[in-house]
Amino acid sequence: MKLVVKPERCTGCTGCALACSLAKIGMFSYDAARIRVERNEEHADFRPRVCIQCDEPSCIAACPSGALSKDLRLGIIVVEIESCTFCRKCEDACPYGGISFNDEDRGPLICDLCGGEPACVDACRFPQAISIVEGVQP
Amino acid sequence: MNSTYQGRWLTVDLSSKTIDRKQIDPERIHTFLGGRGVGARELWDAVPHGADPLGEENVLIIAPGALTGTSVPCSGRTTLHAKSPATNHYLKTNVGGHLGIALKLSGTDGIVVTGCSSVPVYLLLSRGRVELHPAKSVWGLGVRDTTRALKAEHGPNVEVACIGPAGEKQVRYASVMTSVYSAAGRGGIGAVMGSKGLKAIVIDGSGGKLAPAHPDALTRLVKDARERAYCDSLALDLHRYGTASDIDSINAWKRLPWNNFQRSYMEGDISALSGRAWPELGYLKRIVGCGACIYSCHRFTQIDEGPYAGIFSGGPEYETVFAFGTGCGVTDPRLVFAANALCNDLGMDTISTGSVIQWAMECIQRGVLSAGDFDGLDIQFGNGAAVVELIRRIALREGFGTVLAEGVARASEQVGQGSQRWAMQVRGLEHSGIETRGAYAYALAFAVNPRGPDHLHTECLAEFGASPEGIALIERITGDAKYAVPDTEEKRPEIVRWHEDMYAISDALGICAFATTDAYGIDEFMAADLLWAATGIRKDANELMEDGRRIVTLERCFSIREGLCPTRDDRLPWRIMNETQPDLQPGNELSEDRLRRMLRGYYRLHGWDEQTGIPSHATLVNLGLAFARPEGGVTPD
Repeated sequence: MKLVVKPERCTGCTGCALACSLAKIGMFSYDAARIRVERNEEHADFRPRVCIQCDEPSCIAACPSGALSKDLRLGIIVVEIESCTFCRKCEDACPYGGISFNDEDRGPLICDLCGGEPACVDACRFPQAISIVEGVQP
Repeated sequence: MNSTYQGRWLTVDLSSKTIDRKQIDPERIHTFLGGRGVGARELWDAVPHGADPLGEENVLIIAPGALTGTSVPCSGRTTLHAKSPATNHYLKTNVGGHLGIALKLSGTDGIVVTGCSSVPVYLLLSRGRVELHPAKSVWGLGVRDTTRALKAEHGPNVEVACIGPAGEKQVRYASVMTSVYSAAGRGGIGAVMGSKGLKAIVIDGSGGKLAPAHPDALTRLVKDARERAYCDSLALDLHRYGTASDIDSINAWKRLPWNNFQRSYMEGDISALSGRAWPELGYLKRIVGCGACIYSCHRFTQIDEGPYAGIFSGGPEYETVFAFGTGCGVTDPRLVFAANALCNDLGMDTISTGSVIQWAMECIQRGVLSAGDFDGLDIQFGNGAAVVELIRRIALREGFGTVLAEGVARASEQVGQGSQRWAMQVRGLEHSGIETRGAYAYALAFAVNPRGPDHLHTECLAEFGASPEGIALIERITGDAKYAVPDTEEKRPEIVRWHEDMYAISDALGICAFATTDAYGIDEFMAADLLWAATGIRKDANELMEDGRRIVTLERCFSIREGLCPTRDDRLPWRIMNETQPDLQPGNELSEDRLRRMLRGYYRLHGWDEQTGIPSHATLVNLGLAFARPEGGVTPD
C-alpha cells in the first residue's frame, strides 16, 4: 500500500493537512500535519508534500543514528524516536519533501498511512490529488 | 474544555494606532455562534446610528465562522461586516480563500477595526505579534503585486487580504480580495477599508493550533458530512465545471439576463461562456479550492493565444459571466476573462461593475448618453473591449468612470432622463444575475435582503427543482414536491425563510452555502452535531434555525435603524416591477400585487408587522433582541 500524489490535480484546499493533524494529534495544525501543501496562489500551483513510501528511501540511508526503518508489511517508514538525534538529515534527503519537523514533537513527521486508511485521502475524493494504491510490493 | 473558538478578538483603532485584545461575552458567542452572527451583533454596538460609511465612525469587522479552521467540509469561510457605502445599510460579505483558517490558527476569532489612519498602513498578525506597518510601498499597487510584495516581506505562508486601487479610490463597490483571487465583493467593503487607509491584513497562521471539543466525534461526523456532500447529485459538476457550468441551463430556463435584463434568453450557441466548455477550450488551468473545501468550485483560467494571450486569474464565476458576458451582450469568453482578471486585480465587485456598465450601454442604446461622454469609447452592447477599458477608468475614477464609480443608483440619479428605469438596483446595490421576474423565491429573497437585491443572503436554487435533493428539500419545507417550480407565489415565504435561516447558520459556522443551500451535503441536523463536536455547544436543529432567524432579524433591524423603510424598500428594481420580460411566458409575471402578497406572508412567518415589515417588539423579545428596537428608523409611509 502506498500514497500516490498527482500535484497537478491539487486544488490547494489543504483539507488533507487539516484531516491529518486531526487524526494524529486531535487538533488542527498545519505544523503538526504529516502532509503539507505548498501553495503558490497567484499561479494556482499547489503541491502536496508527503511521504510516498518509495522503494529506496533515501531518508533511511541518510539517518546517521539508525532511527528510521521500513515496515515491510505496511510499507511505511518507522521512526524510533529514542534514537533520533534531531539532525534533520532525513528531511534534507527526501526528494519528495515528504518529511518535516515540528519542534514540539521532537522528531521527523512522516506519513504512516493511518494504519491503512489515510485520513487525507477521504478529503481529496473529487480531485484525487492524493490517492492510495493497494498491493504494491514493499 | 477545548473549543474551535480561540476566545480572543482583536480591536484595532487606526486613529490612535492602538491594538487591544478583547474577549466577547460567552453568552453572546452562544447566542450568535460566530462569523456572520457575532459580526452582526458587534456591528450593532460598534457603529453609531447615522455613521458615514466612509468616515471615521464606520467599523470593519472580520469574522471567520465557528467551524473555520477545521476539516469540516467547506468550512473555510469568513464574513466581513461594515455599514455599506453602497446602501448606507447593513453589509455582510462572505469570502472563502484561506483568510479565515489563517486567522483562527493565529489564535484569533475576529478583528474589529475602528477609526481611520492618516497614512496607509497594513495590519500584521504573526506568531503572537500584532502590529501596524506603513503601507506606502504597496499603496497604489494591484491585488496581485500587493500580495506578492507582502509575501516577499513576511514569508510565503502568510495569507493576505487587501484592497486594490478601486478600494483606495473608494469606488462604492470595491472589494476586499484574499488568496489573490477570492473576493469579499458586494456592498463596497473595499471602499470602507480604503477610507480607513488600511491596505491589507497579513496573517501567519502556520504555527497555530485549534483544538476541537470532541475530536473523535468530530472525526466521525466529518466523514459522514463528506460522504453526504460528495453524494449530492450536483456536487461533481460543481467540482468539474465550477459555478459557470449553469450558464447554458439557466439560459435554457429563460432566466439568464441579457443586455441589462432586456432579455432573459438568447438563441444560438453560447456554450463557450459555460464552465463546461473551458477544459476543452484550454482555458481551465486548475481547479481551485478554498480552505477545507471538498467541492473546489473555484477556477484558475488563462488565455494562451490571440489578442488576450497571457491573461490569467481566478474565476470567472457564474455571476461574472453574467456581469461582463450576457448582461453586456458579449459572447466571447476571452473578453469575460479579461474583464474578470482586471476587476480582480483592481479589487472591484464584478456584479456591480458589470451592472453599471450594462446601464451605461443602455444609456447609449437609448440616446441618453453618447460616445462623447466616454471620450469616444464605443460602449455598445456586445463591445467587450470597451467593457475592459471602462473597468479601468472606473477603478481609477477617470473621466465618466468617476460617475460610474458611485454605483448605478447614484449614476442614474445624476444622469436622469429616465435612466433610473434601467438602473438595476434597489437601495444602492446592483441586482445579481438571475431573472427574478420568473423566479419568485429569488424575487422575494432579493426584496427582503437587508443588504440589497442579491442571492447571497438567501440562495433558493431548490425552487427550480434542479436536483432530486432540491425537490426533496422543497417537499420537506412545504409538504409537497409540486412547489419545486419557480413561477408560483405559493409557499415562497416558507421556502425563503428556510433558506434564509440555513444560509445565516452557514455563514455563522463558516460553512460555504454551496454545501448547504445549493448542493445539500450539510443540513441543520448535521450542522448542530458538527457545532457540538467542534465547540462543545449543544443545540438541536430547531434552536440552530432560530439562531439563523435571530441573525437575519438583527441585520434587518440594523438596516431599519440606518434608514431602510420596508414599505418603500422591500422591492425589486423598477424594470423588474414594471416591465414585462418578453422571453417569459406571458400571464404569470411578477407583479406589485404578487410581491406584496409574498411579503405579507413572509413578514407573518417572521412575526414582523404584516403591514410595515418591521419586527414586532414581541418577536424581538422572543429572539433576545430587545435591545435592537429600530427606533432610529424611518417611519413607514
